[in-house]
Amino acid sequence: MKDALVALAPLLIVSLGGLGLMMAEAFGSRKSGGPASDLALGSFVVFLAGAIVSGSLWLVGPESLPGAQATAPWLLVDRFTLFFQLVLCVGAGLAALMAGGYLPEHRLDRGEFFPLLVFSTVGAMILAAAGDLLTMFIGLETMSLGVYAMVGFRRGSLRSTEGAVKYFLLGSFAAALLLYGGALIYGVTGKTDLASIGATIRAGLGGRGASADLGMLLVAMVLVVAGLAFKVSAVPFHMWTPDAYEGAPTPATSFMAVAVKSAAFAMTLRVLLGIFGDPASMSWGAGWPPLVAALAVLTMTVANLVAGRQESVKRMLAYSSIAHAGYVLVGVVALMKDGNGAQGGVLFYLLSYTVSTAGAFAGLIACGSHGREAVSYEDLAGLGKRHPTAAFALSFFLLSLAGMPPTSGFFGKLYIARAGIGAGLHVLTILLLLNSVIAAYYYLRVMVFMYMRDPAPGAPIAKPMRSGYVTSALVLSAILVVAIGLWPTSSLSMALESALPRVASLASAVSLR
Amino acid sequence: MSLAPVIPALLAAAVAYVMPRKAATKHRIGLAAVTFFLLASVGWLWPDGTQAVAKPDAPTSTEWPYLLDFLIGFPIVAGLFVLFLPRQMPSLLRGVTYAVFAVSFVASLALLAVPMTPGWHFQHIVPWIESAGIRWHVATDGISVWLIVLTTFTTPIAAFASFGSIKSRHKELCAAFLMLQGAMIGAFVALDLFVFYVFWELMLVPMFLMIGIWGGAEKIKASVKFFLFTMTGSVLMLGAMLYLVWTHHELTSQWTFDYLALSRVVLPDTQKPVVMSAQFLCWFAFSLAFFIKVPMWPLHTWLPDAHVQAPTGGSVVLAAVMLKLGTYAYLRFSMGLFPFRSAILAGNLGAFAVIGGILYGALCAWKQDDIKKLVAYSSVAHLGFVMLGLFGATPSGIQGAILQMVNHGLATGALFLLVGVLYDRRHTREVSEFGGIAKVMPVYTVLFLIVTMASIGVPGTNGFVGEFMVIAGTFVSKRLNQFGAIEAIGAAFGVILAAVYMLGMVQKVFFGPLSNPKNKHLDDITPREALAVAPLVIMIFVIGFFPSIMTDRMRPAVESYQQQFVHLFSDTPETPLAARLLPRDMFPPSFLVGAPDAEAGGPSAVTEAATKTAAAPAKAAEAPKPRSDEDTNRARAARNEEIMQKFKNLPLRKAGGEP
Repeated sequence: MKDALVALAPLLIVSLGGLGLMMAEAFGSRKSGGPASDLALGSFVVFLAGAIVSGSLWLVGPESLPGAQATAPWLLVDRFTLFFQLVLCVGAGLAALMAGGYLPEHRLDRGEFFPLLVFSTVGAMILAAAGDLLTMFIGLETMSLGVYAMVGFRRGSLRSTEGAVKYFLLGSFAAALLLYGGALIYGVTGKTDLASIGATIRAGLGGRGASADLGMLLVAMVLVVAGLAFKVSAVPFHMWTPDAYEGAPTPATSFMAVAVKSAAFAMTLRVLLGIFGDPASMSWGAGWPPLVAALAVLTMTVANLVAGRQESVKRMLAYSSIAHAGYVLVGVVALMKDGNGAQGGVLFYLLSYTVSTAGAFAGLIACGSHGREAVSYEDLAGLGKRHPTAAFALSFFLLSLAGMPPTSGFFGKLYIARAGIGAGLHVLTILLLLNSVIAAYYYLRVMVFMYMRDPAPGAPIAKPMRSGYVTSALVLSAILVVAIGLWPTSSLSMALESALPRVASLASAVSLR
Repeated sequence: MSLAPVIPALLAAAVAYVMPRKAATKHRIGLAAVTFFLLASVGWLWPDGTQAVAKPDAPTSTEWPYLLDFLIGFPIVAGLFVLFLPRQMPSLLRGVTYAVFAVSFVASLALLAVPMTPGWHFQHIVPWIESAGIRWHVATDGISVWLIVLTTFTTPIAAFASFGSIKSRHKELCAAFLMLQGAMIGAFVALDLFVFYVFWELMLVPMFLMIGIWGGAEKIKASVKFFLFTMTGSVLMLGAMLYLVWTHHELTSQWTFDYLALSRVVLPDTQKPVVMSAQFLCWFAFSLAFFIKVPMWPLHTWLPDAHVQAPTGGSVVLAAVMLKLGTYAYLRFSMGLFPFRSAILAGNLGAFAVIGGILYGALCAWKQDDIKKLVAYSSVAHLGFVMLGLFGATPSGIQGAILQMVNHGLATGALFLLVGVLYDRRHTREVSEFGGIAKVMPVYTVLFLIVTMASIGVPGTNGFVGEFMVIAGTFVSKRLNQFGAIEAIGAAFGVILAAVYMLGMVQKVFFGPLSNPKNKHLDDITPREALAVAPLVIMIFVIGFFPSIMTDRMRPAVESYQQQFVHLFSDTPETPLAARLLPRDMFPPSFLVGAPDAEAGGPSAVTEAATKTAAAPAKAAEAPKPRSDEDTNRARAARNEEIMQKFKNLPLRKAGGEP
């Protein structure tokens, strides 16, 4: 029992922290300042503790934890889980810091934001650990419910409510698709945990091997992939993303772009490798890779082309996060061939994407203040001259997102591209690389406005805010971006070691149990 | 040391001090100092003991392995440091920048003090990202050393000129110039493809900002175009790089981005000129990136925009150094990694260089009304010569090409500076706005004429030497097949066209009646502006009269490299079905020094003393008692020479492939 508690410590710390924050919010007395000032710090500490504990558990190694198997197969504690829990805590912690500055500045200072944030993260962490279709669904809903509320947090704003409703409807739809796919899988195999499902499928569908079952499984695969594509906001299932991202308060946007997406990718990897991880399903001819490859190409290309046409920087960042999902999907396709480090590449990309994107949103927050928020490109005109520090911060993270060396974003792309080349996906990789040129166009456009244009006379201009929280979020993510960019060895080997085992070893794990 | 060798330099300095009319003492002293140091350095470089010519038993000086790191890192760190200085103190900012540039220039001269024997010098290898096989591997040889010196020589001049004409945001300008210089030197000396790519991309950002912030009316379009053109090429190169690395891993199960190791990989290919083979595609991806940078027709369209919109200092750096990265990288990487492809396509590419570059560039330049645009198109033409020399791949052609890279940097840099002088006075560059300027600006006219002559390639100036060597090399080249002679004739015709468009413009701008009333009271060139142009003008004559300063130092490296190229090319079988690894003895041993493979490859595989690679213990075992550096160097040079001789005598197989 005690052992199991140690293994689940990251999850427990964050959940208990969320409960504590809720209590503090409800019963705490405030003499000065809004709730955000205390709660932001509290949530950050909770996430920091979660990150540190999951990081140290990773270093200890789940295989030497006696309680790691106690909750299997519902919650799996392996290096994969711990890596994602670390990434999620980092992303959520940065979002909490941003919220600490953003909410008071924009008169949204209501304390319930922070418990929502923490519980969403708990859901995301469950999702990363889930080894069973049911826990997966619970995690997914826990995460999503909190995020729906955070998107609609700006009650007075039409955009915010519109975004929340859209996200809620489409999110439920996606959940229904996933659930339906899961039900079909259960119907065919009679199992709900991923490992047994995979084993049953590989064993020839429990000896029955009927073609009807195979057809049902195929339908289930398509449904599950579509549901996952909704969650990672892959084109053509991305319609909710720009509206939700634009309407939400920026810290919530950052959380969605970072944590929700990472958790969704964790789920994707587990499902694709766990259920559909047999050699046939992972082959180009008879499995999901062409499906995912088509999604990846569509996602990258459409998102980048549309992002270039946006007038709002926040919306542009929303589309850019869709495009990044497309790059990661290339890495997911590259899983089809063993031994090219594709999974490590995907994990590393998510880590570097997390810190760069969180930094970019923090930079965007730092560029605006109440009533003079930086939303459109025009707002940013001439910022480089008026407020060089804020402009420099934003451009730094945009360059990382664009994949300029020696930032972490460049290494992420490099490893994904290397995995793609290694898997023989030459055309797909070239498309990825060319897409990053299109992406460079709109990232540069921000810099063009900040450094090379002067604001039109009388036009609204953004005025940077001052907040220790936002500054510390910026500094933290900048340190991480540079550190991962210049010394990627340790984080990369961490990502590589966190990779899920592939089918052959998975099968042996099942037979052992 | 006696005073005698510096007497001519002192005399010239005295002349430079006295010559300018109405100049402040500060500027007089500056001019005299520039003259003195340049001439003194020429005297110092003059090969009277011919120390530059590689003699195996010549005493070699020790090479400080961190020198290249310093040349790269110092400006970049200083650029970051400048960002933290107060913007209210522009003189401090400029002072720091000048100081950094001065230190870098002096440090880069130390590169020339070493005899440039074939092989790598100042090599420094540090493992960086070991899991991916990425190492910090920098080294220079007789080829890149000149481009490093060109960089440290012209960037300060560009910065100096910029501070004169640009009045706003000096802090960003200082940072941009400093980082640009560091990144460019990094790209010139990187021998790890990854490191090369990092610097290749890194230098885009400062240049993008320089064009975009301080540029002309269409600056944003020009800067974005510049960035996107270059980046398109470079991401394709990255893809090819990864393919190459992956193939090397398949063959040896070792990850490495090292240029030397990857040179041994031969990708599958056939003899057909255009075929969708792996080698063709990878060669194409690499070369495309370089052709965009050069730029070669039809990828040159970003260049006129960028040049016209960039501020004077930006144009100077762009023309003098950045374009050279394309030509240098073609020589180093495209020809080094894909010798077979570069060789069999050379004839066709030569036609591109002649028709698209030299002739088309010249004709475009002829029709320009904007002087700066004219100079920009003349760059396209001049770099056509450089590329032609590289395609021909004869020793004299390659040497001429390298010389021409430096020459173009000097002459075109000076032209941009002088055009900037005129623009600062009239805020227009239209040829039709001027006429008879010689009457009001005599000194300026003289300088402009000198630089024009250098650009055309009149004997006595540097341009002549380079173009002559390129054309001579083209004429005898075997790589260009039956087209060599025709292409040489085309190139020679390009020289005539250069005279036509340059002299036509000079005639319209400087001579004739002084008709435009706005030009009646133009000031002649100021001492400050003259100070910026003077070093370039002096170097034009120095190289024009004493080209052996450069050619003696580059010849051993170029000859060895060219031998290697021909050898590798001729040995490629007709249709290798699979990728394969060439044996080490196909390469001159000095070339592979520092390559990462730990597998024993003979005595020459011993790494440099400065490296920390796995081979170090092996070396220690080989030489139990510590020897002085000099002994080791001498022994190594002798051994290199010996193996080099053997290598030269290896029978070469014909391209046709008799067994």
